[in-house]
Formats: sequence, C-alpha cells, structure tokens
Amino acid sequence: MTPKPFAPEDEVALREALKRCSPSTFEAAVQFRKTANPEHVPAVVIGVIERFVEPDLRMKLKDADDDLRLIEDLGIDSLTMMEIVILVEDVLQMTINNDELRNLRTVGDVKTFIDCKIRGLPLPKPTKFIPIEHVAAVMPIQPPFLFLNEASVSSASANGKYKITGQEFFLQGHFKDNPVMPASIMLEALGQLAVLYLLEGAPTEPGKVISPQTIFFTGCEGVRAHRICKPGDILTLSIKPKRMKMPLATFEGSIRVGQEKAVIAEEITLTFGIVEAAEAPVPISAIGHAPGSTGTASAATTPPLRVAINA
Amino acid sequence: MPRVFITGLGFVTSIGNDTATVTRHLRELRHGFEVYPPFQKPDIPVKVIGTIKEFTTDSTDPEDWTFPAAYKIKRELLRTMAPNGLFAHCAMVQAIADAKLADADISQPETGLYAASAGSPYLLHHHHDRLTKVGVMRCSPLGIVASIAGTLNFNLIAAFKIQGSSCGFSSACASSAHALGYAYDDIMLGRQKRMFVVGAEDGNVDAILPFAGMRTLSLQTDPSLASRPFDAGRDGFVGTGGSVTLVLESEDEVARRGVRPYAEVLGWGQASDGWNVAISHPEGSGSAASMTNALRAAAVSPAQVDYVNAHATSTLIGDVSEARALRTVFKDHLPRVAVSSTKALTGHGLSLAGAMESAFCALALRDGFIPGCAHLTQVDPECADLNLPRATENRQPGIVVKNSSGFGGANVALVFKRVA
Repeated sequence: MTPKPFAPEDEVALREALKRCSPSTFEAAVQFRKTANPEHVPAVVIGVIERFVEPDLRMKLKDADDDLRLIEDLGIDSLTMMEIVILVEDVLQMTINNDELRNLRTVGDVKTFIDCKIRGLPLPKPTKFIPIEHVAAVMPIQPPFLFLNEASVSSASANGKYKITGQEFFLQGHFKDNPVMPASIMLEALGQLAVLYLLEGAPTEPGKVISPQTIFFTGCEGVRAHRICKPGDILTLSIKPKRMKMPLATFEGSIRVGQEKAVIAEEITLTFGIVEAAEAPVPISAIGHAPGSTGTASAATTPPLRVAINA
Repeated sequence: MPRVFITGLGFVTSIGNDTATVTRHLRELRHGFEVYPPFQKPDIPVKVIGTIKEFTTDSTDPEDWTFPAAYKIKRELLRTMAPNGLFAHCAMVQAIADAKLADADISQPETGLYAASAGSPYLLHHHHDRLTKVGVMRCSPLGIVASIAGTLNFNLIAAFKIQGSSCGFSSACASSAHALGYAYDDIMLGRQKRMFVVGAEDGNVDAILPFAGMRTLSLQTDPSLASRPFDAGRDGFVGTGGSVTLVLESEDEVARRGVRPYAEVLGWGQASDGWNVAISHPEGSGSAASMTNALRAAAVSPAQVDYVNAHATSTLIGDVSEARALRTVFKDHLPRVAVSSTKALTGHGLSLAGAMESAFCALALRDGFIPGCAHLTQVDPECADLNLPRATENRQPGIVVKNSSGFGGANVALVFKRVA
C-alpha cells in the first residue's frame, strides 16, 4: 500500500484530532500516514481507545492483553465506540461500516479488525465468548476434571480463565498440608482450551465439523513451569494454533496469573477427526433454548456493541 | 387537598451562581450585565448581555469548557451536554444539596423532572456544519442529543437517573413557567411526590442574536441602562442564559423529611392571546386571563396579592401590554400591589425566565423582601398607575404572583405563598 502524500496541513489537522491522545499516539499516526506501514496501527488504536476511557480505568490498557473487553472491562458503551471509530477513521483515513462494528468486543478484536482493513485482508470470525455452562455443554471433558471457567474463542486464538478454588479433589494430596496446582493439570487445562478451540473456533469446510469424540492428546514439547499456583489464583490461559493438518493440530500455549508468567508450552499437539455437520452435537446457539434446559444462555453471554440508540 | 412546596433551589445566573449571591444582588439591585466580547463587531449593534461568570463554554468541544472545581462531571456526561446542560447540571447539584435530598429520594419512581430550554442553536449549527463538511457518517454520534430541543431533559434524566415523569416544555419564554405549573399538577394529582423543575439557556451569540432581526434587543452600550422594564427610555430586552432548578415536594414529603420550605405553590393558570405569533395582545388579554385563572385556582383574591414579579422584558409593546393586564386584574388594588421585573437585573432568560423568576419569588417569600425596579428613572406614562418600587422593600410579602409570556401569545401565571 502506498501512502497518500502527507502535507504539513494534514499534520496540523492530525495534531488537532489527536490533541487529547498521548504524544506516542500522535507519532504513530504520523508514521502510519507517511509510510502506510500497518505496524503503527495498534499504537494508534490503543491510543485512541485510551483517550475515551475514564482515567481510573486507563491503567488496564497499559498492560492489556487482547482479551480485555470493551464493555465489561473498560466501560465503553456503544456511543463511545462510535466516537472511537470516527476518530480512528479520521486519523487512519479509512471507512468502517456499522455492520463491521457489531462483533468488536475486545481490544484484540479492534486491533485485528483495523489491521485487516488496512492490509485489505478478509475480516476474521468474531471472537465468541463462552460462559461456564456452555463450556461444559460443548466439551467432552466434564467436572470434576474440567479446568475452564470461561473462554473466548476466535479463529486466531482462544483465551480462558480458571480460578483455583482449593476444593479440587487432588489438592488434598498435592501436597500434604500445602495445596499447589499440579503442573500436569495446568498443562491439561491448556489442552482443554485447545479442545474448545477445535470445537468452536477452528475453520472447517462447509458442512463438516470436528467431533468431540475424536479429540485426544498426542504430545507436547518445551514445557516450563515458572510460578507456583495456589488456591485463590486466577489462571489466565491462552493458546494459539501453530499448525493444523488433519488429523493433527499443534498449538502454543501459556498461562499467566495477573501479569506473572506461570506456564509455557511451546507445542501441544492434539489429534482430531472430521464428521458431517448433521452428526454433530447440538450447536451452541441452541443450548439454553431447548425444552427442559436449565442453561442461562442469553443472560450470560457478552452483549455485542450495538449501534442502536433509543431515539 | 394536597399541598405543594418549594424545598430547594439552585442557581447559575448572570447575578450569581449560588443562593446567597443571588439574594444579595436581588436585594441590592445589582445587575449582571457586561459588554459581551463576541458582540463587539461593527455589524452587530447589540453589545450587552447578562453574562454567566465562572464558566467558559465558548468551544464546541465540552472538554474545553471550564466550570467551578466544586462540580465534578465525567466526560461520559459532559460529552452530550450543550452549554445550557452544563449550567443546569450545576444548578441541579445545588438544588439537591439545598433540599437535602438523598440519592434514594432522587432516583425513584415518584420523583420526576420537567425541563425547558430552546436546545442549543450553537451546537446544532456546529454539528450541522460538520455534517455538510466532513460527511454524513463522520458527524458526531452525540451531536443530536447535545443540541436539539430536549437536550436539557435528555441529559438531566440520564445523569441524575430520574425514574418518574419527565419531559421538556416548549412555549418559548413561558416554557419553564409551564414546566413548573405541570410539575405542581403532577404532585397535586398524586402522580409524583417530588419534581425537579429546570429552566436553562445557552445565552450565547447563537441563542440571543436571532432576536436582533425582530428588533426586540436593546442596543444600549451602557450595561446599567440596557434593561429598563416599564421605563419610558427602554429599547428592548437584554439576553441572558444560565440555569435555575427548583425542587417541588408534596406536603407529606416535606413532613417526612423535616425540611423547611421556601414557599408554597398555591396554584397556577394559563391562557392564550389568540392574537399574533410574536406580538403581545395590545390589551394583555391572555396575560390577564392567565392571572385570573391562577388566582381562582389558588383560591386567592386580587386583594390578597402583595407582589407581582412581572414578565416585563423591557420591550416597547410587551411591558405596556402587561401593565394593561395588571390593571384589568387588580383594578382598585393596583396601587397597593408592588410590581417589578427582575429582568432589569438578570436580563431575559427566555425559556429559563419563568423558573428563574419563580425562584426569585421563593427567595423573597423566605427572606421577607420585595425586589425593586432597577434602572427605572422615568416611568412610561402607560405604566404610571402601577406601584413600581424604585428600591427593594424590606417587608414580608404574603402572596406573590409570577407572570410569564411566550411567543404565540402563551401566558402563564403562578401563585406562591409565604410559609409561616
């Protein structure tokens, strides 16, 4: 992509548009406008979001992971989202349609979205949030051996959380009078997140789905544990697909507690099988609407940002 | 019969931004006019307005505005405000504190809010300008709620989480008097037990100068001569903005909360001229009928009225029309009933006027004074039989009437009573 000429009066207008953003945001925007290099886009987008977030919540953005949610974590409503979009459009000289906005729920969604637009790539599938009831409903693994409380899945990654309650049965013996989450279980939790990715996020041919009954662990490489995790800790898990070729899918995974690194796995490999969609279990959107179901699907899912105004 | 009381006031006006300052300026007849810098151009013959001090709102971006540090307003709220919304927010905060209302008293199904402003011509113009210049999809998503008529109620209802009755009133310079009248009705009908009544105006170039074409604005350059209701030398009104909030409560609420009201609202009335879109009826027929209706509703005879806070804006036709209406209503009692227009001090607040001057009446009833006729040196012969005190009278009025009139010949009269 060749940049349009960037005249001095453009710089003046850009400075005015970004006058309430950090100097680094302005610098990144200038660099983008001069070079059209998409590397500068995340700094501009985060800088614009920061400017619209209430000051006491801005700290969250400082070391934000891409999973930070716009509504729940940053207090951004749909009107503020429009303010963000219009400023980003103005600064990056691009146009965003209403339809494209509806699925932007996390900071990562916004960054990926803008990046795809700039590079002219097709837009990724939106991140799907999966609350605890749904995790159990779609997973072949069940309590008491399920180590995901909630998860979000996109075509590029999956993120999840698990709180160590202290009630886990194995903590009674691991260790004596000193409950510590076993590293093997933490690796299991990452594997479970990879299973969820295969079921909810992995791209498949039309009419085909990955069957939960076909997924099994095959191997892992480069596993290191960095931190002892104990009851009360909230594990933030993330996996990213590295390679996918029937019947193997390889992921990299990591677990953090707050900002502290807990576990790294360079490679986790699962085997999986494809079946016709008709044989597949009930799709997630139908769960909770079925007769006799006790699910709370509609209440628990994260609302997408809607540009609906009570006018 | 239920009874309705005024229990809290908040002021952002040209004569003060708190009750104490406003009261002092009313008593001492000190005006709030200044030569207004944006008017100091050769093609603008109007020079003076009633300025709002301690606030700057001369940017289209609310984050540029300045206001007293005591008011903490988040960007989330500020971004949808017009200047009149900012003034009103501050007046609301004052009125809530003044009435000693708890959060649970404010945000609940039996507390409502009626408001009146003309919207924000200033921001409407700005946002429309952006629409045409930068494109339909790049105009501010909040431009509408910040600028159209109704912006005042939208913002206040959301900011203060009002759950009861709410709406805006649009009868030009009678708007906030109508708001007060209908707020009284809501309490009398048992629909609400408490109502906020808010009047507000931007009071800037775009709000005031359009009246110049009508030749209704004073061209006086001397701030102390510009607004002279009932004076032979008057030459039009002086514009102003700001906001005033009144808290109205039922007798039960007053008793439950143990607060001392400023005054009782005894009743109100309205009537229309059926005459002209902008010119008052020459005999003040609608104004007279509104006063008669109000006195009847309040079960008060003209003989009981001590003071009328007139609508008189210092225009040639309007002041005489109101003088004739007063003559029609008060007849033999005319020489006894003190009449003054506090617009001589504040300027004409347009939609804000009715609420602002009703609040002045509440102060007069609580503190026992009758504001005099500022800047009145030579009474218009047409108004010579009115009792127009030149100085503030330090005597306790018992019953006070407040007149308001707006375009189209809409007239409202409100009756207030001292709380013993």
